[in-house]
Amino acid sequence: METILDGRGLARTYWLGATPVKALAGVDITIRRGEFLVLQGPSGSGKTTLINLLGLLDRPDGGTLDLDGVPVATLDENARADLRRDRFGFVFQSFNLVAVLTASENVEYPMMLKGVSRDTRRLRAAELLSRVGLSEKAEVRPDLLSGGQRQRVAIARALANEPEVILADEPTANLDTQTAYDVLDLMSLINEERRVAFVLSSHDPRVVLRAQRVLTLRDGRIAESPSLR
Amino acid sequence: MSLMALALRNVARNRRRSVLTGGVVVFGFAAIALSGGFMSQSFDGLRDGTIRNGTGHLQFADPAFFSGSEDAALEHGLSGSDRAAANLKKDSEVDEVLPRIDFVGLVTNGSRSVPFLGTGLDPAPEARTMDTARLLVSGRWLLDANERGVVLGSGLARALNVKAGDTITLLATTPEGVLNAVDATVTGLADIPIKELDERYLATTLGLASDLLVSSGRVSKLVVVLREPADAAAALPRLLASLNRGGIEVAGKTWEELAVFYRQVRMLYIGIFGFMGLVLVVVVLLAAANTMMMAATERTREIGTLRALGTRPSAIRRMFIAEGLILAVLGCLGGALVSLAIRAALNHAGLTLPPPPGVSHGEPLHVNLYVTAYAAGALAMSATLVVASWFPARRASRMPIVDALAHV
Repeated sequence: METILDGRGLARTYWLGATPVKALAGVDITIRRGEFLVLQGPSGSGKTTLINLLGLLDRPDGGTLDLDGVPVATLDENARADLRRDRFGFVFQSFNLVAVLTASENVEYPMMLKGVSRDTRRLRAAELLSRVGLSEKAEVRPDLLSGGQRQRVAIARALANEPEVILADEPTANLDTQTAYDVLDLMSLINEERRVAFVLSSHDPRVVLRAQRVLTLRDGRIAESPSLR
Repeated sequence: MSLMALALRNVARNRRRSVLTGGVVVFGFAAIALSGGFMSQSFDGLRDGTIRNGTGHLQFADPAFFSGSEDAALEHGLSGSDRAAANLKKDSEVDEVLPRIDFVGLVTNGSRSVPFLGTGLDPAPEARTMDTARLLVSGRWLLDANERGVVLGSGLARALNVKAGDTITLLATTPEGVLNAVDATVTGLADIPIKELDERYLATTLGLASDLLVSSGRVSKLVVVLREPADAAAALPRLLASLNRGGIEVAGKTWEELAVFYRQVRMLYIGIFGFMGLVLVVVVLLAAANTMMMAATERTREIGTLRALGTRPSAIRRMFIAEGLILAVLGCLGGALVSLAIRAALNHAGLTLPPPPGVSHGEPLHVNLYVTAYAAGALAMSATLVVASWFPARRASRMPIVDALAHV
């Protein structure tokens, strides 16, 4: 499979006061087009940090990160913002929908940033909400949606600009069992339909079972060799 | 949906806080608009008082007269003032031309002598166009240009212990340096609002002043009263050109150039109201900055999400500044309505203000609709809200995304 993201020796250290905390200590990782990759490991193993680096939400202290062969770790903030908008989708543990926008407007937001016309945005948002089974909730604000519905809106939003990679940090952690299964089913289907790569961080075995490939992190390092299912 | 629409919804998100901030803007705007209207009314009153208390809109005299270096009355007097007055009266904007003779001397009741500042004038047009005749508290104004009467300031009359109907003697030095004296009847007493002037004020007819100074046909200056609305600065060069074309060499000054006191009071008012305005702006700035800072802090996680989705830092800043501007515009609109309502209430309350400095009588309170103050209020409030939004916006746009997303 074609490589989209390629990280070599990725390292990230945080500071707790004067104490350095090594969240990542030299991770090599490759993300391939259309794959369903799960990062697993205990809390504090570096899963979220790695997701943040891969999604250009944070900068590594060491190592390199290439997107389609182009180094992106040192790009300026505007260029990174444009890449996040155009190439990535994000699904967060706490859904992170914009409270003052309706479900449809939340899905439209990334398209608005990209300059997509209003009519096109409306059509595409309706299509995506339909795809995640929330057509009837298009004009509802997030506070009136259930957790599962919010996460599905977040998935629709992540798909808005037809990204190549969707990064999801603990996407089922705040959902009940059945809803978590529904959300995972949806992600799997979209992965198959649209050939969008999914990178999920989770220590939930239900998530790991869906993975095509699993990477286990421990103490900021890859603990087990990548394996394709 | 756009960033502006998002900003609008963010303003509506916490209504109570937005109403409080908008209320501060309403208060700030209304205070600026109303104090500006009051200041405008005060300036108008002071201007009218200055012009109608004797200065007129324009004054024309021998160029040396304005240098203030006259050693004796009429040393730089105008000859042929009738010709100059006729020339000036041809202008359609000129309402009246008032010849004046300025002189100083001593006035005596036979037992006591007091120095005075005298003005020889033509009583009828002076009474029509100036307020001096209205300051009379006893007796009457002068009748005609040759009457041998005087009007004294109340303070001067007290010093001489004279009243209307009494006879006094005026002593003055002629332009040739000869001491001369004439008798005159006190026709009336006037309350001059400035105490120092009240103790020296003496008005008489041009005829008596000419007799005293032995200089018939000469005046110190011509005071011009323009028709309202008057534009003295525009009229001066036009009238000077007309006089010059008529072969009359004189200099001219506008009332504003002559009224040092007016300029000083104006500067004082501007200083006081400017300081008040500055205090208001600081109060609004602090209140609005606090609100915007709270809004930014509460929405830290959401800002992190927007940035994660690809919103550039500059767009985050624009969104916060747009929120500030929306509050400013709504607050200014509310402030304008409140100002108009308070203005209408005050103007119909029948209140009378104490007279401004140098003016004899108080005016009814009438807060002007001073558009400049409304514009200044809107500008000041908008700029203040932009500044108040800028720092939280800058902070929000610079925060690392992962920190913002982890904010609880």
